[in-house]
Amino acid sequence: MAMAKYDLTPRIAPNLDRHLVFPLLEFTQERELYPNDQILKAKIELLNNTNMVDYAMDIHKSLYHTEDVPQDMVDRRVEVVARLKSLEEAAAPLVTFLQNPKAVQELRADKQYNLQMLNEHYQIGPEQIEALYQYAKFQFECGNYSGAADYLYQYRALCTNAERSLSALWGKLAAEILMQNWDIALEELNRLKDIIDSKNFSSSLNQVQSRIWLMHWSLFIFFNHDNGRTQIIDLFNQDKYLNAIQTNAPHLLRYLATAFIVNKKRRPQFKEFIKVIQQEQHSFADPITEFLACVYVNFDFEGAQKKMKECEDVILNDPFLGKRVEESNYTVVPLKDEFLENARLFIFETYCKIHERIDMGVLAEKLNLNYEDAERWILNLIRTSKLDAKIDTQTGTVVMEPNHPNVYEQLIDHTKGLSGRTYKLVSQLLENSQAQAAR
Amino acid sequence: MRVTESDRVPNNYVKALVMLEDFLNQAMANKEAKKKMSSSNAKALNSMKQKLKKNNKQYEELINKCRETPESFEDQEEAEEVSEDEEDDDTGSDIDDPTKVDSGSESEEDNDEEKDETEPGWERMMNKKDKLMEKQFKDPSQVTWDIVNKKFKEIVAARGRKGTGRLELVEQLTFLTRVAKTPAQKLEILFSVVSAQFDVNPGLSGHMPINVWKKCVQNMLVILDILAQYPNILVDDSVEPDENETQKGADFKDTIRIWGNMAAFLEKVDVEFFKSLQCIDPHTREYVERLRDEPLFFVLAQNVQEYLERVGDHKAAAKVALRLVELVYYKPQEVYDAMRKLSEQSDGVESGEESESKAVEETRGPTAFVISPEIVPRKPTFPESSRALMDMLVSLIYKHGDERTKARAMLCDIYHHAILDEFSTSRDLLLMSHLQDNVQHMDISTQILFNRSMAQLGLCAFRAGLIAEGHGCLSELYLGGRVKELLAQGVSQSRYHEKTPEQERLERRRQMPYHMHINLELLEAVHLISAMLLEVPNMAANSHDARRKVISKTLRRLLEVSERQTFTGPPENVRDHVMAATRALTKGDFQKSFDVINSLDVWRLLRNREKVLEMLKDKIKEEALRTYLFTYSSCYETLKLEQLSEMFDLSTYQTHCTVSKMMINDELHASWDQPTQCIVFHEVEHSRLQALAFQFTEKLTVLAESNERAIEARLGGGGLESLPSRRREGQDYASVAGGTKWQDNTSSYSQGRVGSSGGRSGYGNGRAFGPGQTYRGRGGYQQQSSRFQDSTGSAYGRNNNYQGGGSTTMGSRDGSSRMVSLNRGIRT
Repeated sequence: MAMAKYDLTPRIAPNLDRHLVFPLLEFTQERELYPNDQILKAKIELLNNTNMVDYAMDIHKSLYHTEDVPQDMVDRRVEVVARLKSLEEAAAPLVTFLQNPKAVQELRADKQYNLQMLNEHYQIGPEQIEALYQYAKFQFECGNYSGAADYLYQYRALCTNAERSLSALWGKLAAEILMQNWDIALEELNRLKDIIDSKNFSSSLNQVQSRIWLMHWSLFIFFNHDNGRTQIIDLFNQDKYLNAIQTNAPHLLRYLATAFIVNKKRRPQFKEFIKVIQQEQHSFADPITEFLACVYVNFDFEGAQKKMKECEDVILNDPFLGKRVEESNYTVVPLKDEFLENARLFIFETYCKIHERIDMGVLAEKLNLNYEDAERWILNLIRTSKLDAKIDTQTGTVVMEPNHPNVYEQLIDHTKGLSGRTYKLVSQLLENSQAQAAR
Repeated sequence: MRVTESDRVPNNYVKALVMLEDFLNQAMANKEAKKKMSSSNAKALNSMKQKLKKNNKQYEELINKCRETPESFEDQEEAEEVSEDEEDDDTGSDIDDPTKVDSGSESEEDNDEEKDETEPGWERMMNKKDKLMEKQFKDPSQVTWDIVNKKFKEIVAARGRKGTGRLELVEQLTFLTRVAKTPAQKLEILFSVVSAQFDVNPGLSGHMPINVWKKCVQNMLVILDILAQYPNILVDDSVEPDENETQKGADFKDTIRIWGNMAAFLEKVDVEFFKSLQCIDPHTREYVERLRDEPLFFVLAQNVQEYLERVGDHKAAAKVALRLVELVYYKPQEVYDAMRKLSEQSDGVESGEESESKAVEETRGPTAFVISPEIVPRKPTFPESSRALMDMLVSLIYKHGDERTKARAMLCDIYHHAILDEFSTSRDLLLMSHLQDNVQHMDISTQILFNRSMAQLGLCAFRAGLIAEGHGCLSELYLGGRVKELLAQGVSQSRYHEKTPEQERLERRRQMPYHMHINLELLEAVHLISAMLLEVPNMAANSHDARRKVISKTLRRLLEVSERQTFTGPPENVRDHVMAATRALTKGDFQKSFDVINSLDVWRLLRNREKVLEMLKDKIKEEALRTYLFTYSSCYETLKLEQLSEMFDLSTYQTHCTVSKMMINDELHASWDQPTQCIVFHEVEHSRLQALAFQFTEKLTVLAESNERAIEARLGGGGLESLPSRRREGQDYASVAGGTKWQDNTSSYSQGRVGSSGGRSGYGNGRAFGPGQTYRGRGGYQQQSSRFQDSTGSAYGRNNNYQGGGSTTMGSRDGSSRMVSLNRGIRT
């Protein structure tokens, strides 16, 4: 299907938790990228390994238009309920303790103290704490994310096993994402990132894999959080993460590219990123990265313009980029508009750099605007002094002001740092000799 | 001493030791005589004492035994003496016509028989006469394990002794395999046969005779048969097996240990095969015939690998897999297919022959006591594509191999990918493996492999149209003018220093067999053409100071030489052709330039020749356009796009792209006038004063930097890491200055810092700065190292700076620090 051509869901899904795949499937269902039956089937398959049996039953009914449910689902439901009971019982002492606000106040920042206190006063030992973890995990699998998040938070406070603590953190992150608590999720994300970067992982392979997971999960947060688009660049564009992207998940370049285009604050890193895109052309290409290649590598403005149109489709059909916001009566995709605006600016900027005189008609065409809009747009740019140019209405052209670097300025630039550096050098030398003398 | 390889110490030796010890004790006891001795004699006695003591410790047990029961040693010795006599006879006849030998030694044999009535009569079988053998073994019940074992020990003991015919030894042992009583014994003897066959090869330089090699392979296959038939037999070279281990019969259920090392044997077989190809003249039929034995080796290696995997020795299996990889990696799909076909065809013929010869053997000799059916397949199995085979083998090696094996397999993998035109995969493998960094520390043969892989990678990049990358891969090979040596495809004579015969011999042993050669003419053409495409516009751009930026030193030098010539004749060799093309390109005459290059006949070696030439033509046009613009831009006020595209036969689109790129990169001071489709050139020539001022500031900067470096070196760098340098241009120096600030700025600065320490270590190695290099070069290097920081050791770290930082540096600086020069290896 044409629309599904650029769909990344199949490449992203393996790097996500089962539960995190649901929002993606929901989105593809909504956009009708794939036949409805296929999606429903995929959903059931997903649910098979979770404990959300009721939900699976519902989907099954709507898929086959029956009221009957296969026996194994019914059996599984019984099993799940039974297991829930047993886990609940196992974790009960600790849960009741935690629900008692007075008792919780006894806890202190000291983990050892807490464990000892629990053990002495409430007869809560490692088994109960372990049971809490299992219980939380089960809650999560049943789809009770808020419960799971709470328990996992408590568990982390009491847990001493680093391995377990890490997996609890992953669980918490997933739960927060699914509850759409972006602020908290971001906190958890950063916590997790610190652990991944600092922890002496058993193998670097493992570490790379963790990074890739982290990046995939973070997509949910970054494209929903207010400040996400800057942060996604800060995270993905770190060498370690960029390495991971290039080796194992080049499709993530789409999101990084989009973030770069939309975000104006991170221009210095942009040049470097273009090189990465150029290098990865063979392993991943989609309209968004191709657009950048057209503008910055091949200077093919017509191609860029074509790509821009394709980009629109891509953004609309991407579960992360195509987030819709209801505004009074109609829905808009804020990112799409922003993207197009910035992409236009990119083209124009580069185009102006190498031109002295441009015909307004051609320019309007290149910018995907009509003549008046283009004129207004350029006028705006000139007014906000983003562009050093004049409009010549008689011939219908934009004339760039010649922009040669002043020789004197260049010379000053070259020498500006020198005196400072030399001064510092001397002071450092002095410092050193004094230190030696003191010794 | 060869004897140590056998299981048992010869009795004579032990006896001699005993005697020597006695004599020594006697001498030591005689104090008076000792005092009178001259100093040198006393010294000799002392050292003798020490040596003997050390030596005897190894054989303490045997010596004690000998002292206790000298008779038993005496007894055996006699038998040995007899056998020795016989052997002496045999060796004499070794070279003669076999039939003559038969008749000649027959009479002697009879004499022996009469003499040694008391000895069991089977001794003379070593004279390998069928008639006699049959006689001896007419009654199989007479032959016992003991007899065979004893004889076997004797023969093995004779091995390596002076006057023992090597071929003779093999014959004797082969006969013994037929009369061996138990499978284990047969196996043990077979192992000896194989190692005896390796001994047939007279010296290190020569190779094993081909017929012996073939027999050796057959023997190895029989060994594998037995091992497959009796899985309870363990082959091991770590422990000395029990004396009577082989006595256990076929029905023995527990494990039986036999000394031997299949992987080592196989490697030896491979080495001999390789050597024979090195020695045989490649233009003869013999060479081709020899190449046809490849499948034979292939099947053996496959079986050995299978066996080793079965017994769980994955490390050795990886080694064997490497041998297979090295047999396949240099073969393009066509050659591989040919090999496959050959193995299928020849197999039909050979199996027929084999059964025939087997039948003959069967009737001739006595029937073997232990019959081993052919269990392991005698036919190599090849997957459809060579890539599939490589993938299979290589992944096995990556999992289990040791460092060297892995590195070699990786290089072969890179080579093979490059052959199949998969440049990006190949490049990624090279960068991920970090082989460039540590190949200097590897053995020479691996370095050669590395060079060959680089050469192939360069060719691959060129075919894919990646000129800069291709040049980066190849330029280093050509820097010293010793390509042949670096690729081990011949010896280059140097005028300046003579090689010692020792060096020459070593070098000859490293040579690649002819069928593995990379075509040197093609390589040179590709290298020079890529250099031309990069260098000509570069020269045009920097016409005012030509020395400043040199991309290819080799090309510059050649150009100088050719310019010095008074008359330039029509081009004859590759070099002349490229020089002619370069001259044409400098003038912007792309057509002539292309025609000259097109007339090279090395292009017929390329598979997709048409496509490559098409690409080349485009590139030449583009570079001609660039050269033209660099050279003549000052003569124009405006230049019409159409005119340009017509001049260089390029589409307007291509012309537009090329010119735009030059504008963006500040190579051309001009801009487009869109309505008229013209290039408008700007006058930005600096006045003389301004130009001098620029030079002055540049020198100042260099001065400041050298000051910084001097201080850094003095103070050991500790506190000065934060010294800003030019590479951090555009950053506010003041903010970087304070040491504390460094910790705060996490992302970008810390990267620089990590890099700077890397840079310093590079400085120590003396590779980061040459006299003419600016600081910026260091910057590129540093970035690279910081990128590696995280991913060292992981198979996943990928250097994304290959093109990033590398695009400016790769060609000259960077490449040079990372490519390998064999120089060091050869001299030491």
